[in-house]
Amino acid sequence: MSIPRRTRAPLRALAAIAAAGLVSRVAEARSLKLLVFLHVALKQRAFESELQAALPGLEVRAVGRLGDFERGLEDGQDAVMSLPPVLASHGLTSKLQGMRGGSSDEKYSLVGAGVVPDPARVSAVGALDLLGHDGTNAFVWDLLGARPKVERVTKFEDLLPLLQMQKVDGILLPARLVPELQNASRLPLAGRELSKLVKLPAVASVGGGGADALAQIARIPAKVSKTLGVDAWR
Amino acid sequence: MALSRRAFLTAVPLVAGAYACSSQLRTGARSAGERTLDHAVVAGKPTVLVCMPDTRQTREVLAGLKDELAGHFSLVAVEVEGEDATGGIARAMAEQKPACVVLMNNPTVLAYARYQATSGLANFPPAIVVMTSFLDRRPAALADATGISYEVPLITVVTNLRKLMSSPVERVGVIRRSPLHAFVSRQAELARREQISVVEQPVSLEPNAAELKYALRELKQRCDAIWILNDDRLLSDRLIENGWLPGLNERPYRPAIVGVASLVSPAQSFGTFAVLPDHTALGVQTANRIFDLADEGFRLGAGDDVDLPLSTTTTIDLVQARERFALRRDALEQVDHILE
Repeated sequence: MSIPRRTRAPLRALAAIAAAGLVSRVAEARSLKLLVFLHVALKQRAFESELQAALPGLEVRAVGRLGDFERGLEDGQDAVMSLPPVLASHGLTSKLQGMRGGSSDEKYSLVGAGVVPDPARVSAVGALDLLGHDGTNAFVWDLLGARPKVERVTKFEDLLPLLQMQKVDGILLPARLVPELQNASRLPLAGRELSKLVKLPAVASVGGGGADALAQIARIPAKVSKTLGVDAWR
Repeated sequence: MALSRRAFLTAVPLVAGAYACSSQLRTGARSAGERTLDHAVVAGKPTVLVCMPDTRQTREVLAGLKDELAGHFSLVAVEVEGEDATGGIARAMAEQKPACVVLMNNPTVLAYARYQATSGLANFPPAIVVMTSFLDRRPAALADATGISYEVPLITVVTNLRKLMSSPVERVGVIRRSPLHAFVSRQAELARREQISVVEQPVSLEPNAAELKYALRELKQRCDAIWILNDDRLLSDRLIENGWLPGLNERPYRPAIVGVASLVSPAQSFGTFAVLPDHTALGVQTANRIFDLADEGFRLGAGDDVDLPLSTTTTIDLVQARERFALRRDALEQVDHILE
């Protein structure tokens, strides 16, 4: 059945209005900004792409350095994803907590090359820089219950060179990432899980679109959440 | 359309060993001289003086350094380049009275050595040297100096390559002239920790293209990958065009790892994979050395050796890699820059 000529123009106009509205809503949704400061076992470029594909309604920026995170906060965001200690140190409150196996915490491991490092006896430890010089030192010392020298790095893959070059006695990382480390190396890596737990990634709302952003993040596909070490959000 | 070899050579700025040291890398043309690039003074905090040329790479190192030191130290960065570099350093040292100095690139180190030799002073603050080629021990020409070397260690290079390749990478071949024998030996010793063996193919001090091509053919029979050193004598236009390019582009193919980003280009198959220092992370690493020095009262100890760079960025020529080699399924998740 053909459409009468006289109704075609209004239909086209309606379509144009609808399309414009759609574009506007997409633009509005796209303007919601999510800043992510997490260290994962893939390159920041790939991590950001994966998150962006999983969250098409958000403009995702993933950073690996504290300085970039702080500049990103100044740029204005709707939501921020990081470890709760990082959020807390910037006066932010977690509104959406990552969970794994029903728990909001995870274990960290101290990994050495050749021998299992003793947290009480290590003189130098490598760690991901979460909180700057003083904050990361305090974070590491609290986990270990000792005060070794802390070598901070800005990427997950930079932990292994610390062991390869014998700069440290052990490296500290989430226990779930130890297999990734072992896959990348032929060093005889040996680790010990620490008794203190660390909160899994969480999300804080920091802008007008925060609630909407959180709702989208809560529906993130399982495969992507797994990269974050999370299997559910609460 | 693929570029001709000559076009590739023209398009690729080959700077090899001096890649970080050359003023060719400056972001914009301007007269050489002395300029304050950063001045963040915090009352009561010790001053770190950074002497550097103004290039994109040195700016990245400065950015990492500045982020890390903020709030803990005063930081003053001055541009020292050109004929009066030594005078510029002397003026900055007198004005800032730094607790610690950071020196970026070879000419800056030379200018600082001249400053030390002519200043008449008996003591100097500790200096950290970065972005200079083949620094693998404390610089003998300077008093109270240590540093972070600029060449990415072979162990790091191969660890990265293994994340990409489906086939095993056990033996890495390297063509080297005699002045770099000691450097290669130290790298080979470190690489053994990751079960990497190095196959050396010596060439003469001034090899011609035929010698290089022969060396490459010999080497390719005995190794899984080729590690190309940043030796400017081996990376002349003539040797690239008549030695490296024909040698690398004949069977059997082997992945070629280079230390200069411009040698990786889908337009012309040279480097398969580049592993370069991450300059911002190098600034963070330098800052860590400064924090350590501060803990020791800004005195260098006997154990304050030159460190190796910890952090790298990787670039892959995906066209070449896909045509000639089998990549791991998740390979591209492990690369910073993909060229295709």
